[in-house]
Amino acid sequence: MAAGVAGGPTKAEVLSLFRSLLRTSRGFADYNIREYAKRRTKDGFRHNKNLSDTSSISSAFSDAKSQLEIAKRQVVVYSLYAPKVKSVMEIKQS
Amino acid sequence: MVSKLLLRKLHQNTSSLRRLSTATAAAALPTYGSGEEISMKGVKISGRPLYLDMQATCPVDPRVLDAMLPYYLSRFGNPHSRTHLYGWESDLAVEKAREQVASLINASPKEIIFTSGATESNNISIKGLMHFYRDKKKHVITTQTEHKCVLDSSRHLQQEAFDVTYLPVESDGLVNLDKLRDAIRADTGLVSVMAVNNEIGVVQPVEEIGRICKEKGVFFHTDAAQALGKVPIDVEKMNISLMSLSGHKVYGPKGVGALYMRRRPRVRVEPQMNGGGQERGIRSGTVPTPLVVGFGAACELAAKEMEYDEKRIKGLQERLLNGIRAKLDGVVVNGSVEKRYPGNLNLSFAYVEGESLLMGLKEVAVSSGSACTSASLEPSYVLRALGVEEDMAHTSIRFGIGRFTTEEEIDRAVELTVHQVEKLREMSPLYEMVKEGIDLKSIQWAQH
Repeated sequence: MAAGVAGGPTKAEVLSLFRSLLRTSRGFADYNIREYAKRRTKDGFRHNKNLSDTSSISSAFSDAKSQLEIAKRQVVVYSLYAPKVKSVMEIKQS
Repeated sequence: MVSKLLLRKLHQNTSSLRRLSTATAAAALPTYGSGEEISMKGVKISGRPLYLDMQATCPVDPRVLDAMLPYYLSRFGNPHSRTHLYGWESDLAVEKAREQVASLINASPKEIIFTSGATESNNISIKGLMHFYRDKKKHVITTQTEHKCVLDSSRHLQQEAFDVTYLPVESDGLVNLDKLRDAIRADTGLVSVMAVNNEIGVVQPVEEIGRICKEKGVFFHTDAAQALGKVPIDVEKMNISLMSLSGHKVYGPKGVGALYMRRRPRVRVEPQMNGGGQERGIRSGTVPTPLVVGFGAACELAAKEMEYDEKRIKGLQERLLNGIRAKLDGVVVNGSVEKRYPGNLNLSFAYVEGESLLMGLKEVAVSSGSACTSASLEPSYVLRALGVEEDMAHTSIRFGIGRFTTEEEIDRAVELTVHQVEKLREMSPLYEMVKEGIDLKSIQWAQH
């Protein structure tokens, strides 16, 4: 992973963004959206793991940052309208 | 960040408001227990069913919702207002959305007309085009497996003394290209074949059909509501003249769609909605900015996520089919297995009655046939066109897999389906006879 020389993000920044995205994703009230957000974050970061030039790393980083902003807003919206009864998948089977 | 306490308070207020509201048809409404179970139509389920009906509609992607909300809150202007900021910002958003939709199908934004959905786009394409060219062109070709709106528009044209040929399909659901070529006459105005079928999921050879239409000089319309964002569409490569697109099949909002109308060579239609001349006079009426913005965002997302989604959905489809086939025999896939969109799996289970199977699968939201036809009891016309026997057509179930489906949901669906089918087969005397080796078709049923 390239170190942030000419404006690119550092490894620590990338990892911190990854953890923030995962933490935010866990907050979704809807089962399907929550699982999708977690999975997409992991797959997205894994897919971009081998990028080498600074410009593509920077653009991937800023893209992920805007996704984090969207996720934070939508977690609030989804929890405001969360149905009382959860999905069948979230109910523990006896 | 809103605190948990505030959220809980908001929740309590909204739920008490819900209890106060007067519901007229109280008997038909589902009753939600105190967070424990739902009781509806005499069935009790412990939670919201897992959703496997993506062909009927898809949930709105949170990223799409995020793009739409500002246009419901502060940017609520009418895009056709020319005199103030509200109109200008709304118009800018509509044009951006137009750009997003056009780039998904390799078209120019000038060729996109926003409508209320694929049904309206189909109506404009079929009736509008044929009415415009009615002096010279009197013939329309379509297939027997088209969506109800296409078939109904064609029937309407028949009542106006147009000729319509309903091409049959092969047993795998695909159109026979030679039959199509032979059916084209000198006065054929339009060929309409849908790209991906909503009931069985087969992908028609759109490129070849486009080539045939180009060499014969006939307009080619395709209903791409199920195909958009899932299989790559290129209107130039496929020589499409008109295309219907739907918002809520690509994780966008319901109530919006678009019509692609080629400009070179120019395609002209008679408008079905008359009014102030919006959308180049083709579709008058205020363009619903938030819906259109959502549609555009959904198309942009679909372009980015198409590869990732396709790989994942293919894996899930294999998991579903192999899981069911491992435990059950007598499972038939309706429609071609190779030329199909992986997110649509239509299965028939032999020796099982369809309605009772669906009644037992209340924890899985699936449908038999298409949403348009599930209300009626007659077997699906699409399956009948494939030549599927009536008893197998009755027991067909359509599983729709999408972007948000998880592996655990597929496993649970397999488990529930297998359990229900085994239970029903155990009760079935016909299945007992089959297990004993009797051929059901050779039985002479006694007349009473």
